[in-house]
Amino acid sequence: MDKLASLLHTTPAIVWMVGKVVVVFLSVFLLASVWTWVERRGSAMIQDRIGPNRALLFGRWPILGLSQLLADGIKFFFKEDLVPEAANKGLFWLAPFLAFVPALMGFAVIPVGKSFVCDGVTYHLSVLDPGNGMGLLYPLAIGGLAVYGVLLAAWSSNNKWSILGGMRASATMVSYEIGISMAVVAVFMVSGGYDPAEVIKAQGHLPWTWYVARQPLGFLVFFTCMFAETNRLPFDFAEGESEIVAGFNTEYGSMKFSLLALAEYSHLMTASALIATLYFGGWQVPFMADPPVLLSVASFLAKMLFFAWVFVWIRWTLPRFRYDQLMHLGWKILLPLSMANLVFHAWRMSQGH
Amino acid sequence: MGVIVKKVELTWLDRTYVWPVLQGMSITFGHFIRNLFTSTAKRYTVQYPDMKREIPAGYRGLHELKRFEDGAIKCVACFMCQEACPARCISIEAEEFSDLNLSQGFQEKRPAKFSIDMLRCIYCGMCEEACPKDAIWLRKEYEVAAYDRLSMQFGKWNLMNTYAEADGKEQITQDPTPSVPRRTIAM
Ligand code: SF4
Ligand code: SF4
Repeated sequence: MDKLASLLHTTPAIVWMVGKVVVVFLSVFLLASVWTWVERRGSAMIQDRIGPNRALLFGRWPILGLSQLLADGIKFFFKEDLVPEAANKGLFWLAPFLAFVPALMGFAVIPVGKSFVCDGVTYHLSVLDPGNGMGLLYPLAIGGLAVYGVLLAAWSSNNKWSILGGMRASATMVSYEIGISMAVVAVFMVSGGYDPAEVIKAQGHLPWTWYVARQPLGFLVFFTCMFAETNRLPFDFAEGESEIVAGFNTEYGSMKFSLLALAEYSHLMTASALIATLYFGGWQVPFMADPPVLLSVASFLAKMLFFAWVFVWIRWTLPRFRYDQLMHLGWKILLPLSMANLVFHAWRMSQGH
Repeated sequence: MGVIVKKVELTWLDRTYVWPVLQGMSITFGHFIRNLFTSTAKRYTVQYPDMKREIPAGYRGLHELKRFEDGAIKCVACFMCQEACPARCISIEAEEFSDLNLSQGFQEKRPAKFSIDMLRCIYCGMCEEACPKDAIWLRKEYEVAAYDRLSMQFGKWNLMNTYAEADGKEQITQDPTPSVPRRTIAM
């Protein structure tokens, strides 16, 4: 690494930093696009269909329909890029990026593996090193920002369906963010810090000391709220195809649409990473106090991808809620539950457990 | 008549919502696993151009005009099918022919032209029902498509040969007996 750094006239620290940024964001981006394929094939299997399998790579290899991804990507690039006459052009262009960037950015603080020491220098496997002072508040705050992308897309396209979708998204976000925060506060309280490294360390390597076992209620609330936060079924009110055409992205086409779709999947990846970090011990390998670095990365990836799959799985199991049911669930059930969870753990801590 | 629908009583377990969700997830996961270990060829989906459904008996597909052993058309140009056709897509022109000597006065009738407009045909099978000679059949061929409208006008020879290949018969383009020139009948 020193050699590479001197070749590029920079310091090893910067090379490591840039490398981390590129690798982490690129792999989240790639995973998000591969997950569109997982979603399509997985849903097909759940519904006894076959899913995309006709596209052939170079006209020869079907590779389980994966080449459909490439075909779709190429198609999206070359489609006509329509902007509605009465749309607010600037915002209409900006919105997909505003939806996409926060979805990716949340990933920055999440450690994808155990920190390791090499030549006396400690390397942390997260884009932002632990002790940056933001900790897990950062992905939560950024996650709240993601709704701006949806709202802007809705507002700028000057379409009734879009604006309905955008309004629903923002209302959902407001009501579910509180549930998320309450659930997460309980985690922070018990682990004694809000840095992901501390949260992971506090969970230990034994599955029954992970927060999912210690705070099952909190996990349930957080998990449910994450569906609302990522705008996925059963809470995808921003889109709601059966009710409001395609919701906030009704007017979007070509690359801008695919960026919005990718934003959804990146958000899903970030959400699963958060769940894995907060409740499933992050990179901790079960029953292994001091795992090798690569194994810890594999463990984190396995947990994250599992939750990403659960998002897909639930989407194809449950029907969409009615809007008032969503509000009912958010305000009258999840919020009191997360509060009860918080109070219970506060009481336990006061009892000296 | 009113029907009283009994409201389903939910148990407390159902009311938690978590348990029913888990049940649902186990069902979908069962489907997922089952399909994961079934090759695509064995799933419900019939992947059309590669796989084809078995056509049930009694299917009404493309028509065939039946022929005798010697290749003579069975149709006697009675116009029954033309009358019966609800889509009015059959048009027939009759002619006379005979194996026998003209002077014996033994004449027979057959279509000189027999055409079906396949673009208008609704494959109802009425022509088949109406035919007194069992000369027109609707069989199992269903891939009837063409690049232009004109090639969807099936003539007599097209209709006689639609299934020739499938049945291993030879294509015919000519009647075995020549037609009789039109006469004016002297009274
Ligand atoms: S199938 Fe029906 S529509 Fe078609 S030619 Fe026969 S009678 Fe006419
Ligand atoms: S009903 Fe039969 S015999 Fe009569 S014209 Fe039609 S096909 Fe020929």
